[in-house]
Amino acid sequence: MTLFLALVLVVLVAAAAAYLARSRAAGLRASGGGRLNSLPGYHAAFAFLWAAVPALLFLAAWAPIQEQLVNGAVLASAAGRQLPDFDLARANILGEAYQLATGQIAAAISPDAARIAPVYREALGRYGLIGGGFALLLAIAGAAWALTRVRATFRARSGVEKWLMGLLVAASLIAILTTLGIVLSLLFESLRFFSMVPATDFLFGTQWSPQTALRADQAGSSGAFGSIPLFWGTVFIGAIIAMIVAIPLGLMSAIFLTQYAPARLRSVLKPMLEILAGVPTVVYGYFAALTVAPLVRDLGLGIGISSASSESALAAGLVMGIMIIPFVSSMADDSIAAVPQAMRDGSLAMGATRSETIRKVILPAALPGVVGGVLLAVSRAIGETMIVVMAAGLSANLTANPFNSVTTVTTQIVQLLTGDQEFDSPKTLAAFALGLVLFVVTLLLNLIALHVVRRYREAYE
Amino acid sequence: MSKPLIQAGPATRWSGDEMKRRVARRYAAERRFRALGLAAVLLSLAFLAFLLVTMIVRGAGGFSSTFLTASDATDPAMAGVWGALKGSMLTILVTMALAFPIGVLAAVYLEEFARRNRWNDLVEVSINNLAAVPSIIFGLLGLAVFLKVMNLPRSAPLVGGLTLALMTMPVIVIAGRNAIKAVPPSIRDAALGVGASKMQVVFHHVLPLALPGILTGTIIGMARALGETAPLLMIGMRAFIAAPPAGVTSPATVLPVQIFLWSDEVDRAFVEKTSAAIIVLLVFMLMMNGLAIYLRNKFERRW
Amino acid sequence: MTKEMQPVTPTTPVPFPSTAIAADAAQDDAGIAKEDTAWTQRPEPTPHLDEAVDSNPTAGEPLGQGAPKMRAQDIKVFYGEKQAIRGVSIDVHEDKVTAFIGPSGCGKSTFLRCLNRMNDTIPGARVTGRIELDGQDINSPDMDVVQLRARVGMVFQKPNPFPKSIFENVAYGPRIHGLAPSKADLDTIVEKSLRRAGLWDEVKDRLTESGTALSGGQQQRLCIARAIAVDPEVILMDEPCSALDPIATAKIEELIHELRGRYAIAIVTHNMQQAARVSQRTAFFHLGELVEYGKTADIFTNPREQRTQDYITGRYG
Repeated sequence: MTLFLALVLVVLVAAAAAYLARSRAAGLRASGGGRLNSLPGYHAAFAFLWAAVPALLFLAAWAPIQEQLVNGAVLASAAGRQLPDFDLARANILGEAYQLATGQIAAAISPDAARIAPVYREALGRYGLIGGGFALLLAIAGAAWALTRVRATFRARSGVEKWLMGLLVAASLIAILTTLGIVLSLLFESLRFFSMVPATDFLFGTQWSPQTALRADQAGSSGAFGSIPLFWGTVFIGAIIAMIVAIPLGLMSAIFLTQYAPARLRSVLKPMLEILAGVPTVVYGYFAALTVAPLVRDLGLGIGISSASSESALAAGLVMGIMIIPFVSSMADDSIAAVPQAMRDGSLAMGATRSETIRKVILPAALPGVVGGVLLAVSRAIGETMIVVMAAGLSANLTANPFNSVTTVTTQIVQLLTGDQEFDSPKTLAAFALGLVLFVVTLLLNLIALHVVRRYREAYE
Repeated sequence: MSKPLIQAGPATRWSGDEMKRRVARRYAAERRFRALGLAAVLLSLAFLAFLLVTMIVRGAGGFSSTFLTASDATDPAMAGVWGALKGSMLTILVTMALAFPIGVLAAVYLEEFARRNRWNDLVEVSINNLAAVPSIIFGLLGLAVFLKVMNLPRSAPLVGGLTLALMTMPVIVIAGRNAIKAVPPSIRDAALGVGASKMQVVFHHVLPLALPGILTGTIIGMARALGETAPLLMIGMRAFIAAPPAGVTSPATVLPVQIFLWSDEVDRAFVEKTSAAIIVLLVFMLMMNGLAIYLRNKFERRW
Repeated sequence: MTKEMQPVTPTTPVPFPSTAIAADAAQDDAGIAKEDTAWTQRPEPTPHLDEAVDSNPTAGEPLGQGAPKMRAQDIKVFYGEKQAIRGVSIDVHEDKVTAFIGPSGCGKSTFLRCLNRMNDTIPGARVTGRIELDGQDINSPDMDVVQLRARVGMVFQKPNPFPKSIFENVAYGPRIHGLAPSKADLDTIVEKSLRRAGLWDEVKDRLTESGTALSGGQQQRLCIARAIAVDPEVILMDEPCSALDPIATAKIEELIHELRGRYAIAIVTHNMQQAARVSQRTAFFHLGELVEYGKTADIFTNPREQRTQDYITGRYG
């Protein structure tokens, strides 16, 4: 609680500094010390920022350090040395002792916790005083420094704006940090996975059965991590079946909406089509599993395919294709809109019909843009998770029969990471390796697609 | 001179029978093409209608006061969506509190202040790529960073909100940049001309004018986050939680995950509950998208 | 051109041109009335093409009384590799309207934007040379660019009111500079500025309406009122009438006459008649160079340079 108290005090100091700075600046103006460079409000903000921000940053950095220090102190104490070595049990006792020490609970269940609670309380108080005191000193120093600067000529506004600028830069850095976080966490866990399972086995193996044994001597304990069937299943559902559905429907919808539909009809149909993209994927997944999959299985059985599964690739791909339609449609829409009107007019003026103009002139001209859009759609489809988790199967088959069951990369990631496994088993780590592959592939697809689209836009600008 | 390409003379060239048939054929093709286009749109919409009708038919019977006020339960008659709904709200709140300010500030920086250099290009490329990264990857990030490195509580709206915020932020940045770009430079000149600083120009004039556009993008991003399931499964929000969460650090589930969990139940009675929960989710999504469209139409400004 | 040379003078019309010389001279003698009350009583300004009559066009004579308000020395502007201004030196005087003329792309607008450092906002633009405002270097680190722009106001080519109310448009500047301690002061400043811009009577009953709802000419006068509201010393006008119809143009020109003396004014125009009508000093730019700078009457009736002569007589431009 000491750190919280320090936080409150820091804010109070900063507020007082702001008030003082404001009244001093206002006094300067009233006493006719010339025109102030900055409004009193800026002087106040300047003082507040200098008092609060360094101290708060210090507190934010101090909190985890203090936790380490306190834990270290507790474990080094006589009572702490008697605690069990086992991590989980020790963490439980420490957690309980912490709650007891801070008064969140009245009594502990574990006697160990009760014993070390006073040690805990003492360490907390000591380090809290050090950290909190230092933060308070920082705040007072910042406030004092800022207050000495209140003068008519002082540019408090640019001082405040420098802080704001720092905030803006920091916000834009979050994007880089996120990317970095993704790349590093995927790489780090994948490397650990590849130290247990050779990368070539993972990338080129055709057997996928990631069950780890409960006992070391159990049969098949090593598990097989050949992910070719997963890659095939992903491509089969996301890049083949879904695209066979989405490309014609999306493209024709875009053509109808941009070239044929009257403006009023378009303004009704287009938002309705966009609802398709707004439906949550879990809804699609449920719909695919509950309604579409049985229909597809019956269809398969009806045409004499006895192996037709109720978790067929076709059902998942079909629904995924429907989900992608508005995406393809709006990309095609943009590409068609970018074709210069003069080109269309030229064709129509020769007596070509509208469909001839579209097929012979507009579509060829818009093709690079459409291709770029399709690539983006593929990247979205192969990264889609819920539809395949709910509607595609778990059996890693290498089959081209759409009525059979296949599994995908995203399905397996979910499968591997749900349940309370140990974090360090190859089974969990394999999910990160799959994630890395998925990340790299979608990244490449996006880069290529954006490149294609940009080149295409430039051609007509 | 060899024989002419077109045999008939000028007068009959366009009125001959062959030409008439040809034109008729071309018009038939035209009509077919047009019908094909209309069919594509209608087929897509028919699927949407099929989906909605299925859900309503199956789910309408699942609504009851228990359903709207209770949390998850093993007995379908006692199960409700309130716990999941509250979890969703807490999660979205965390997401919005983080993604909106960060996204807007980053958009302001990139559009108004960033000079073109390698570093800022890197920021820009990052944002554009993050917007296209599959959501499940963000789940893996959340698992590795928030749970494993930072030791935040599993299944908590806090972690879910953080993960979804990272996912939504690029969407807000991109929408924000487009909205800021649409504010005409003459407004900036005008404010600079009376002695406003660059910061004052941005925060007094540009940002308020861009706000409707930014809000539209934000709401659409939030709607997407609200419907997101996969990343939340990764950070453990799939446990059986029988009470509404008390705060952002207590274990919770969210509506889409609740749907996913119920869809796996063997008990047939859960089909009705699942469909009813889907209706609740869709109503929220439609409300948010409707709000976005309303904002866009009301505040859209032609310069 | 769009309009006769005679400005529209709705109140107390001054006979033209017989008493014009006297009126002009009287004004010069009286010096520049700075009191707020004085400006309404000031005699109607008149066209100044005939100023040559009361002055002696000797080459070495200074173009204004006392120190110049702004002095630019050897200004060069580069946009990346391209040089837009090639060493221009001009003085802007407190009591005069200075017109910058020349064919399009000659650098006159670029030069104008140097005077309140609006070129800072263009990426890749680089300015060398020295510009002084009351003897102080405006590019020195001691000069706060924001205060500079408050002292050297600007009116742009296209009217660019903020999409806020008329009141807020004018009040914005005083607010950010803290010129109005109270709401009543702010009201006074807004009213005074709008009056001075000749817009008060037209808008006093609808101050809460959006500034963008006004007509083009009214919008431009609103922009002038907005510039005046921060009490600048110099007003820069970048082709302020190019987007306006002849009647609105006439009103703006009339306004420029009324503002002369209270503010040093520099105006860029591609309309030579306008330069002749509103200015006392004219600078002729061509291809980034200052070809000739002098009294407006001299430039238009007796240019020293062949290029000026050619431009004025319409041989190119």
